[in-house]
Amino acid sequence: MEPTLHEGDRLLVLYGGRPRRGKLAVVVLPDSTSGSARPLAVKRLTHPDPDGSDGWWVERDNPREGLDSWAVGAIPADGILARVLVRLPAPRLLRFRLRITSREK
Amino acid sequence: MTEPGKFVSTPRTLVEGTHMFSRLLVAPIQVSAHCDLPCGIYDPAQAKIEAESVKACMVKAVASSDADFKARALIVKEERSDLVKHHLWVLWTDYFKPAHFEKYPQLNTLFNEATKLAGAGGTKASWDVAVADNLLAKIDEIAVIFWETKKAA
Repeated sequence: MEPTLHEGDRLLVLYGGRPRRGKLAVVVLPDSTSGSARPLAVKRLTHPDPDGSDGWWVERDNPREGLDSWAVGAIPADGILARVLVRLPAPRLLRFRLRITSREK
Repeated sequence: MTEPGKFVSTPRTLVEGTHMFSRLLVAPIQVSAHCDLPCGIYDPAQAKIEAESVKACMVKAVASSDADFKARALIVKEERSDLVKHHLWVLWTDYFKPAHFEKYPQLNTLFNEATKLAGAGGTKASWDVAVADNLLAKIDEIAVIFWETKKAA
């Protein structure tokens, strides 16, 4: 999701928050065609499902990397887990430390 | 700033009461913002996924009556056609070695045809799903050779 988000960013999210067009959300991407599960992802809600379900069309901000609805189709409503409220400001030093912590996991 | 493992909340909890509060009190989780594609340096799956996106642009744009959505589909179709070419070029120029081209004499032609199908005379100029299907079929042919060379290596 570069340039909006960078590795190690901390997001404050609202679980069950009503999806809003143009906003970021934590979504469940469907499993790959080979059946392997994909990680939870942050995507931008760009359009209600064009097929008319109550799901959402999601896109990546980085035009070159990642998956989105153009590859996997609309995300069903129950796959929209949380709305991203804000990216928490983190001092450069702290962000660096958090990144190391998450690598160690 | 919240430390990992600590709970977070927002001012909204004060307004909406304890039910909302309990929904917000959860431990941090890790989510991905990009690494949901195959991360191998060389993998024809990258070109294939972008080509599938190109096909989806065609299918969805034709089915939609929303002008904004159609316009978006056009832009994405252009971008991802270029990405298909990019990923194919990386395989063509960086992965495959002279010995591969000797063993598979059709390989250069396959790449040439595939990148053309993703170009100005291919998916960029067309809304015909058959063009995208031809592109996907070419990528599949390249992928078969790719995995044979991987096995042989």
